[in-house]
Amino acid sequence: MTDDYLQDPALMQEFLIESEELLQGMDQDMVALESTPSDADRLNRVFRALHTIKGTSGFLGFEPVVQVSHRAEDVLNLLRKNELQLTPRIMDALLRARDQLGVMLGDIRDSNTTTYDLSELLAELVTVQSAAVVTTVETPKAMAMAAAAGATNLPTLPQPAPLAINQIPASPPALPPLPLEAPAREPVASQTPTAASPARASSVAAVAEVPGKPAADTSMHTLRVDARKLDDLINLIGELVLERNRLMQLSRSFSGNKFDGQKMAEDLSLSTTRLSFITEELQTAGLKTRMVPIETVFRKFPRMVRDVSQALGKEVDLEVNGQDTELDKSMVEMIGDPLVHLVRNSLDHGVERTDVREAAGKSRRGKISLNANQQGDQIIITIADNGAGIDPDRIGRKAVEKGLVTPEHLRTLSKREILDFIFLPGFSTAATVTDISGRGVGMDVVRTNISRLNGVVEIDSNLGEGTTLRLRLPLTVAILPVLLVEVRNEAYALPLRSVQETRQVVRKEIHRIESMEVLQLRDGTLPLLRLSRLLGLPDSEESEGGGQRAVILHVGEKRLALLVDRLLGQESTVVKPLSAYLLRCPGLAGATISGDGHVRLVLDPTGLLKTASMSSAAMKAAVGSTR
Amino acid sequence: MQGSAQSNVKELNGRAAQRGELLQLVSFHVDGEEFGLDILQVQEIIRVQQLTRVPNSPDFVDGVINLRGKVIPVVSLRKRFGLQQAAQDKQSRIVVVEVNANVLGFMVDSVSEVLRIPVETVEPPPRLTKVDREYVSGVGKLDNRLLIMLDLDRLMTMAEESSVMKAAAASAS
Repeated sequence: MTDDYLQDPALMQEFLIESEELLQGMDQDMVALESTPSDADRLNRVFRALHTIKGTSGFLGFEPVVQVSHRAEDVLNLLRKNELQLTPRIMDALLRARDQLGVMLGDIRDSNTTTYDLSELLAELVTVQSAAVVTTVETPKAMAMAAAAGATNLPTLPQPAPLAINQIPASPPALPPLPLEAPAREPVASQTPTAASPARASSVAAVAEVPGKPAADTSMHTLRVDARKLDDLINLIGELVLERNRLMQLSRSFSGNKFDGQKMAEDLSLSTTRLSFITEELQTAGLKTRMVPIETVFRKFPRMVRDVSQALGKEVDLEVNGQDTELDKSMVEMIGDPLVHLVRNSLDHGVERTDVREAAGKSRRGKISLNANQQGDQIIITIADNGAGIDPDRIGRKAVEKGLVTPEHLRTLSKREILDFIFLPGFSTAATVTDISGRGVGMDVVRTNISRLNGVVEIDSNLGEGTTLRLRLPLTVAILPVLLVEVRNEAYALPLRSVQETRQVVRKEIHRIESMEVLQLRDGTLPLLRLSRLLGLPDSEESEGGGQRAVILHVGEKRLALLVDRLLGQESTVVKPLSAYLLRCPGLAGATISGDGHVRLVLDPTGLLKTASMSSAAMKAAVGSTR
Repeated sequence: MQGSAQSNVKELNGRAAQRGELLQLVSFHVDGEEFGLDILQVQEIIRVQQLTRVPNSPDFVDGVINLRGKVIPVVSLRKRFGLQQAAQDKQSRIVVVEVNANVLGFMVDSVSEVLRIPVETVEPPPRLTKVDREYVSGVGKLDNRLLIMLDLDRLMTMAEESSVMKAAAASAS
């Protein structure tokens, strides 16, 4: 029986998605419970979530999951009945149980058959029950309850999965250690709550990332859509069908003998107007089904802030606003990592230690606020801390040191422009702002990732008051603003975000350095590439006479000039993937469909640069060999 | 999935023979030869529309077209088989097929009809055709006509391999 269920991928998928969501919700509730232990609603929610996971996994036969969730449920049940008081130690044990569940569910999803050493965790979950009773010295009834909970299953609990429970011996030390292949954990049982050392907290933080990452994988292909959005969509499709019927009617009367030209034209124009209205609405409604609340990303932050600040020995409050702001699903998946990086940065380098804060006359606890809102067709996400802020003078000095800017030029820059240096590669905030060593991932990676989503990162900071990072993201990644250029009578699209400027080029501005063509500009020389050659086309006729257009592209830190025949204008287009058979063509990012239904290719500046540098290297090699 | 399962004509033959069925084939012409494709593999047949050339693509890819919002590549069977080029005319069609979960079009000289042939008449590929034997899964006989039945999976898998090899050779040189 059980095997049949296991072989039902839909059921498994449903279980994994549901559990993942429940675990994420638990994270948030549990961290909140730490500050308000008496919140019965939250407590109940965590209890119910665990109970659901236990029930379903019992039904599917995942015994280790049942064991852990059952023990954790026991603890929660006592808390719920006010027979146990929430201590940091209990919370740590519960969070560890939650992480263990995450790891195990991840393994189930990846079909890893791992065995876990759960004895120590289960023992801790039992110990905290009795330990708390001793410290709180409640009624004898509570003692009895705790003992009962430690020994066997509670009679009040429905037991859909009795198979696993009784396998756990009552006394913790006697638990049989299972063969260990799962990640090894430090022994925690011996530690007292007061000895919550950073080392331990950081191990929690490190583990917390494990269940976080696969979460994105499961959600990759499935999406929960508000039924109302689908209703809108279906409604519009109905309209579309109606409109088609009208057009068919028109076409029939047109082919018939009796038709009135004047009326026909009127009907047709009316119908096409309605049709364009419906299709526009349909497009919006379709995009809306892909929109999910940003909450799915924000949810993991309370836990992360708790763990990281504990590890760093700081006291930090997190304030989250605008969780229900919606943005495209693919976007939500991709901003997760950059956001984690930025929040960690704020925790690590932004917010000061408690003693430093007090010495500076600031409130003891630091604060990080995470905020999302929609402004027009942009989503703005801000991460603000009330920490030390960034010293622009220091950044400036560092920039001069690194030869990024001359001291004279530095004086002309605004504060914002100076702060912008931290986004340059090799300019990690760790090295410049604090003495704590960097994590190897710089702000440049954040900026690159965000610009890949057609977004921008801005920074603002006041020394001593804090730092604010602002991410501006488009609502969806599907729509890309492009510059249309023409070469040999074929139009190509260039992503507008890589375009710095366009200019007319006359022949005398094109110079030759060895085998490379370069373009002389006011502020330096740029390598000049002819798009026609990059695309393997013959040179354009005008190329000898000059009078062509150059598009100045910036790709990462490199700039280059791309010579094209004509500029056709700007457009916002939907980028479609090229077929798998064409994936290996360098320099192409995808295709779009123009107004008249033809396919237009979207160029990938990074790929173009790569082809160009490859061919120039080949050229140089060829030149070198002839000498 | 269904497409790839059906592509193996031998297997299909086996199953069809058991039930005494006929094979349904879409027949088309390339350079004077008549070809047959299992009808279940053919998604649709469309007229030739304006192609967008794809730079640096394998040489047998004529370009890409917009098929109701999907961008699909069009492969020239003439180029794929290394045959002489011919201009497109009114008879030219694009046969849209699904191979290995990818939708793509084949440029052919003309599409003639849907044929039903008894499975017993299909024979293993002979040695003498203009097309490499590897891509041929069998030859069907109908009166005095010969239908070359293509193995699309192999045709496109080998196409991919050869394009990869070419790309590798290009970057190595």
